[in-house]
Amino acid sequence: MKKWLAAVVLWSLGGLGLAQTVTVGLDADPPNLDPLLSSALVDRQVQNQIYDKLVDLDENLRIVPMLATSWRVEEDGKVYVFNLRQGVKFHDGTDFNAEAVKFNLDRYRSAPGSRRSGELSLITNVQVVNPYTVRVTLREPFAPFLAILSDRSGMMVSPTAVQRLGAEFGNNPVGTGPFKFVERRRQDRIVLARNENYWQRGLPRIEQLVYRPFPDDDVRVANLLSGAVSIITPVAAKDLATIRNNPNLVVNNFPGIGYQGIWLNHTKGPFTNKALRQAFAATIDRDVVDRVVFLGTALPSNGPFPPGTLAHDKTIPVPKRDLALARQKLAEGGRPQGFSFTLTIAPGPVLAQLAQVYQAMAAEAGIQVRIEQVEFGTLLDRAAKLELEAVAVGWSGRPDPDGNIYDFVRCKAPNNYSGYCNPRVDNLLNRARTVRLPEARRDLYSQITKIIQEDLPYIYVYHPQTTIGVSRRLSGLPVIPDGILRFRSVSLGGQ
Amino acid sequence: MSNRTLRAFFANRLALAGMVMLLLLVLGAIFAPILVPYSPTSTDFSALQQPPSSQHWFGTDQLGRDIFSRVLYGARVSLAAGLISVLLALLLGGLIGLVAGFYGGWIDDVLMRLTDAMLAFPFLVLAIALAAVLGPSLQNTMLAIGVVTTPVFARLIRGQVLTERPREYVQAAVALGGSDGRIITRHLLPNILGPLIVQVSLSTATAVLAEATLSFLGLGVQPPTPSWGSMLNDARGYLSQAPYMALFPGLAIFLAVLAFNLIGDGLRDALDPRMKK
Amino acid sequence: MFLFVLRRLMGGLPTLLLVTVLVFTLTRVLPGDPARLLLGEEATPELVAQIREELGLNRPILVQYADWLWGLVRGDLGRSIRGNELVAPIIWQKLPTTLELSLFSLLVAIAIGIPAGVLAALRRNTAIDASVTVMALSGISIPNFFLGILLIYAFSIRLAWIPPSGYVEPWVDLQKNLLLMLMPAITLGTALAGAIARFTRNSMLEVLSQDYVRTARAKGLEGRVVVYKHALRNAAIPVVTVIGLQLGGLLGGAVVTEQVFSIPGFGRLLVDSVFNRDFPVLQAVVLISALAVFLINVLTDLLYAAIDPRIRYH
Repeated sequence: MKKWLAAVVLWSLGGLGLAQTVTVGLDADPPNLDPLLSSALVDRQVQNQIYDKLVDLDENLRIVPMLATSWRVEEDGKVYVFNLRQGVKFHDGTDFNAEAVKFNLDRYRSAPGSRRSGELSLITNVQVVNPYTVRVTLREPFAPFLAILSDRSGMMVSPTAVQRLGAEFGNNPVGTGPFKFVERRRQDRIVLARNENYWQRGLPRIEQLVYRPFPDDDVRVANLLSGAVSIITPVAAKDLATIRNNPNLVVNNFPGIGYQGIWLNHTKGPFTNKALRQAFAATIDRDVVDRVVFLGTALPSNGPFPPGTLAHDKTIPVPKRDLALARQKLAEGGRPQGFSFTLTIAPGPVLAQLAQVYQAMAAEAGIQVRIEQVEFGTLLDRAAKLELEAVAVGWSGRPDPDGNIYDFVRCKAPNNYSGYCNPRVDNLLNRARTVRLPEARRDLYSQITKIIQEDLPYIYVYHPQTTIGVSRRLSGLPVIPDGILRFRSVSLGGQ
Repeated sequence: MSNRTLRAFFANRLALAGMVMLLLLVLGAIFAPILVPYSPTSTDFSALQQPPSSQHWFGTDQLGRDIFSRVLYGARVSLAAGLISVLLALLLGGLIGLVAGFYGGWIDDVLMRLTDAMLAFPFLVLAIALAAVLGPSLQNTMLAIGVVTTPVFARLIRGQVLTERPREYVQAAVALGGSDGRIITRHLLPNILGPLIVQVSLSTATAVLAEATLSFLGLGVQPPTPSWGSMLNDARGYLSQAPYMALFPGLAIFLAVLAFNLIGDGLRDALDPRMKK
Repeated sequence: MFLFVLRRLMGGLPTLLLVTVLVFTLTRVLPGDPARLLLGEEATPELVAQIREELGLNRPILVQYADWLWGLVRGDLGRSIRGNELVAPIIWQKLPTTLELSLFSLLVAIAIGIPAGVLAALRRNTAIDASVTVMALSGISIPNFFLGILLIYAFSIRLAWIPPSGYVEPWVDLQKNLLLMLMPAITLGTALAGAIARFTRNSMLEVLSQDYVRTARAKGLEGRVVVYKHALRNAAIPVVTVIGLQLGGLLGGAVVTEQVFSIPGFGRLLVDSVFNRDFPVLQAVVLISALAVFLINVLTDLLYAAIDPRIRYH
């Protein structure tokens, strides 16, 4: 009852514009706020305000302290010892300490329905050394471990709240973060309020944060233009000009950590033939794709690692369109007149446009592309079963390079939609995740990239950037490549 | 259909207008390959979103394709979808209605209960759900619309059969020992043709509209094949920059549906014995 | 009267049961694994199998149907696969929005349709009659999503009088709510207005040619009185029935209208649940649509029977 009253008060205050409220327009309604069960990326936008993680990322994707103030790595990378921040309390007043960390990690590892168990599968033991020190033991060295703790697997929820609420925890999330959960109406809004006892003194600066879902691009932009929301993400390329033309608004492009492109099936269809793979790949003009579909807001890609990430190698060139090479490869592959294949995509206006652009470009070399739109879940299912000749699916990206490649090009990996299997690549991948020196890892990833650019299990076409449209009144938003908007230090200026 | 009916129909100016519109659409659809200045799927990345001009009568879309060509080709999709789904409904519904009306008894009961159950759903709601189940494609759209339209024809034909069956000419045929099939085709059908054709025309209007709606929602033809409905859906995002992208496909749907409605209306008026002009 | 109602409702039960079977079959035949879709790009075979178990998707189909039906009877519409919340509250939240839209559209349709129909009947075979017919047919023929887009272009983009989309609850800001509902209501109501106009016209024509009207006229009663007192009242009956019949179409039209204007209503739920393969929500939406149509039909029959006693005793 009290919560409802508080919500009404806050809501009406927000309506009167008295409270400092920032309203955010997202492209979907986050389905699940419990990190245990969460599998949609949009969940993370809201979760990052409610929960703190053990570690966080900075603008350069480096790991920085958050709930863990420092850590050491022992036994050649198999043991991590974290020193925890003291004096931090969950929103329900209970203490954050080593017991809480153990509770959380164990919960992610083994609670039923956990979506995090795969990521944390290498943990063999979590030990409470003292109230503010935790010791985590891994089965083998794992370089991406800290990066994983900077995401959902590192989000600390209140053990008391979980034990009390059980399955309803997701509808009443409790963390230590800068904002507390107040209430939500599905498909309408999620309301968060300032955590007055946040461990970072003086933060957050705004009193209330409201998230609203607008799956429709036009509606999202319309709400930004009318001032109903102060910030939106993502922004469709076609709306960029409209926002830029508005004196009260500004467009920001963040580099992202993901990639998009096309899987080529090596086990069936025309792409069992390497020359034909290379022929099709040679017809793609990444600059045209960027210009026509994304109006210049995407980055042509040279591999799985975007600029700004650890493993990006700028000495590896972005493949250019080469029709002569395409025709040569066609001849080499025994199909000088061209061939045809089916490209499967999920529904969506941008994907449809993209597919039609690929189609037009390939046609000039005699390659006929048939476009098939299949609903996303079915698409993933069939892709995983290697039933599709070519499928345009990308990856949202992870801060550690291992997260962008390990589960994708390894033999029989869960997200390997190509059927590609190269023991040499597997070997390099395994080494890259155990070696800890960044330069050594980068070198290994570059070797891998060169091999797969030749073998083409996947054609890396572009790196999407995170675009946000934001009111000029908003300041203090950090630019972090994972695309998550962190509102901790944001303030809202006057009219 | 009698001469009187035909004369009454053609005297109706609105109905005539409808026929002319339909004729133009059909001709446009049939001769589209000859009439179009560009291929409906060829892109031109240097001419994105051009307003109407002498080179592109209706302008170009977001991939540089000529809208006039796409509208003409879209006519093929819309008209085919409309006519084929109604044909399907006619055959299926006709079969159900004839069997139910002619044989009566528990067969009638069961069939009519089924029809009632289907009629309980709002037309579009069921069509959307069905099209989603079957998967997005033109054929599945036609199937979905056809199935959802079936009850209308089933009811109509059953009703007509029930009205005509007790009539003397049918009783006579039965008494004379004619086979069921013969009675149906030789004697019943000609007498129920009138209302049937009216319904065909009106249902085609609804079917064309339904196909456009399903395509608008992304459940119909797949890109790059042009359909008026999906063209309208694409145009939504570019409304402020390129409103003509929405105008022409929308007008096309409107005129096609209007044509069928005018014709159906005219036929109904012409057949109505109580019409006093 | 009460018996009539009861009999009518009872008679509808087998049909309703068939409806549930149809709905269930429909959604279970949907291709695509909701477990897969739920997990998105993070799916692994183990997680998929786990989720399928959790959702009870591996039980025999008849068991799933019986379970679902039993839940329906108790008012439990299941849980959304996507967000894991109960379906029934979602529906109760969104249904009023669509009801408001439908009501508003109905008002628009009646306000335009009936006077137009009356006018056409009184001026039959003149230019006015023809133009009303053409306008009515145009209203019926124009795709409502096209009309919506045209309205948005004219009033939101060019003239900037009304925001292009959005929704505000009436108790939060009634003025804004009505303003935002205006274009959607016109969009949705136009087709219905056309149907009402034509039916009113035909109905009026029938009544006007009746003997008692001619007698009244012959007796010298002023034309207007004749129209209002006799013709209109008698013409109203079939018009009411037509409105009842068309309301089902309104629900279907609402689906697209809500899409165009981004109104978070019941119709929008249908499209969203289809694209998300959210079985429980889809089932509930389709079922309730059928229920709504059924209830409207019963109501219309009741209205008809209340006015015309002959109907009750058949």
